[in-house]
Amino acid sequence: MNKQQSTSNDPNETPENWVDLYGDYLYRYALYRVYEATVAEDLVQETFLAALGSFKNFQYRSSIKTWLTGILKHKIIDHFRKKAKEQQIDHITPDINNLDDLFTKNGHWKIKPANWNADPQKLYDQKEFIDILHRCLAELPGRQASAFILREIVGENTKEICKILGISATNSWVLLHRARMYLRQCLEINWFTNSDDRE
Amino acid sequence: MFNCKKVTQLVSESFDRKLSFYQRLGMRIHLMMCKFCSRYQEQLLFLRKTARLFSESSEAPDLSIQLSSEVGKRIKESMVRFLEKHE
Repeated sequence: MNKQQSTSNDPNETPENWVDLYGDYLYRYALYRVYEATVAEDLVQETFLAALGSFKNFQYRSSIKTWLTGILKHKIIDHFRKKAKEQQIDHITPDINNLDDLFTKNGHWKIKPANWNADPQKLYDQKEFIDILHRCLAELPGRQASAFILREIVGENTKEICKILGISATNSWVLLHRARMYLRQCLEINWFTNSDDRE
Repeated sequence: MFNCKKVTQLVSESFDRKLSFYQRLGMRIHLMMCKFCSRYQEQLLFLRKTARLFSESSEAPDLSIQLSSEVGKRIKESMVRFLEKHE
């Protein structure tokens, strides 16, 4: 764990060693937000190159790791912005989660939500759960995934998300609602009713 | 009265914006009476808390995920090329 705790005074912390010191960390950070290995690899590469370009202005006010993470975060948001532009041209996204299918004509639940009774911190430490969560996220149609990740993992507000994705406020709420509805359903089917009888 | 379909939409939106007084009231009355929509609300809270763990913890939960040595090499080479070009 030493390499994660290294401070900015570490003589080994020259740009030549960045990839060895922070490559894996930044890759995981990216992968847990974009869910595509090749995209995450490219973002890490772009981050290091951008960091090299502005290293002479680096003031050591934060650790190198924090500084690199900040650059990567911008790269990730840029990635979502570019992706949203491509999706506007190619808007034939299959509708895997039509809300109308989940409710009766009178607006009642067709399949009633179960009682999860779950502790996020405990599940976060379980690799099997994290794998299922990622599989569910990866199945979301592009814009819903972008909206959800930007909102809940990157931590943007909906105003920023609208700017990044080029959509209206109403549109962002609809995307988020559908993403959440799909994710809860996916987790319920694949984890909460499968792992044991929690109902 | 709001039905479950409408209330789930409002529950989700309450995570992103301030609902109007009328919407909040209608949602709360429904949630008091409807076990399933209450569960939905709890589940969205669970999703938010879990996502926060990802964004706030300094490390991803699975440390076995690493850059392949091949990609690490590729990135190092691109950095060397970058420096050669800019110095």
